[in-house]
Amino acid sequence: MTIHHHPSDVMLAAFAAGTLDPGERMAIATHLSTCARCRAFVDDMEYVGGVMLDDLPPAAMPAGSLAEVMERLDEPASRTIQVAPSSDLDDVPGLPDLVRRCRAGDWKWIAPGVHVRPIIVPEDSPTRVFLLKAAPGTRVMQHSHTDLEMTCVLTGAYTHDGTRYGPGDFDIGEEDDDHKPLVEQGEDCICLVAMRGDIRLSGLLGQLMQPFVRM
Amino acid sequence: MNANGKPVEDAAPWNRLIEAVAVSQDREAFAALFEHFAPRVKTYMLRSGANNASAEEVAQETMLSVWRKAALFDPSSAGAAAWIYTIARNLRIDAMRRERTGSARELGDEIEETVDDSPAPDSRLAAVQSEQRVRAAMAQLSDEQIRVIELSFFEEKAHAEIAEQLKVPLGTVKSRLRLAMGRLRTLLGDLS
Repeated sequence: MTIHHHPSDVMLAAFAAGTLDPGERMAIATHLSTCARCRAFVDDMEYVGGVMLDDLPPAAMPAGSLAEVMERLDEPASRTIQVAPSSDLDDVPGLPDLVRRCRAGDWKWIAPGVHVRPIIVPEDSPTRVFLLKAAPGTRVMQHSHTDLEMTCVLTGAYTHDGTRYGPGDFDIGEEDDDHKPLVEQGEDCICLVAMRGDIRLSGLLGQLMQPFVRM
Repeated sequence: MNANGKPVEDAAPWNRLIEAVAVSQDREAFAALFEHFAPRVKTYMLRSGANNASAEEVAQETMLSVWRKAALFDPSSAGAAAWIYTIARNLRIDAMRRERTGSARELGDEIEETVDDSPAPDSRLAAVQSEQRVRAAMAQLSDEQIRVIELSFFEEKAHAEIAEQLKVPLGTVKSRLRLAMGRLRTLLGDLS
């Protein structure tokens, strides 16, 4: 799989810094599960985190703090919670464990050739996450968003403004971009989408669809 | 640690201490790690917006995890500081999750692999080399670039707040961060 489109360095660094919201984190983790190049950069950013941690000025721990911890060293480490992947998403290829642990709703029809399936982020997240499946040859209706949209292609491919996005590719829709992606012939195009803000559909049909697209 | 209990002189003293914890449950080695890293994790948490008590709690839990997971630490593929950094970061994410969900789980009930499914940092190069490479790259950044990266790593602030703090427009913060990261990527690429 040749991946041509990646998250920005700033996003990858924010992933390493742990400062993304839960939905954004899922989108980046999905990309990382297939992209060795970005994983290597995230690894480097974790080293950056380590170097900066090492260089931080120390803040004194209270007296007795080490002794307290020493006393707990022999406690059994039985408190790690293993969260098994939920089986809801077993049929979707290319998802990392972080996503596969989540529950998911059913596929819902939202437009000719287009279905969506919400992924239930297990905590409050300003970013919603869903799968989008579009049939080959579908022209996904023109839309723009009020904020950031991250799309990870899992299967199939689409073109958008002359650029092709295939499996592993990461597409960032900025605020007020107007997109109208065209799904390639061949197989269904399934994407994981993380979206902050609302989607706005253009045109009369779009406005009629609007209530159904809100998830 | 060598037979006299003194840190062995090499480029990776912290790695040796973690190994000593893993191999022989060496409490002195653990105490040395605690003395160095706990106060720094506390600073990290304070800068991320935690209050004093929870910053100290995360620092303690981080060090407990170091003790418990020491056997999983692979000194040939991870640097000690980066490894401890990721433990602290994951506990911080977990603490924020508990805040949001009002979960009754306690801190330290760490969900495995909170953040990513990728293997521990970097197995392409020996860890010590990676750390030296990252340090060398960071040494070539300007103070201003280090500052903006540090703010984005350690201070849980929206870019707008960073802009306010640095007294520059929001767009400037975004472009400075983008430039700093781009420069860092180029430097890291040149050094690998």
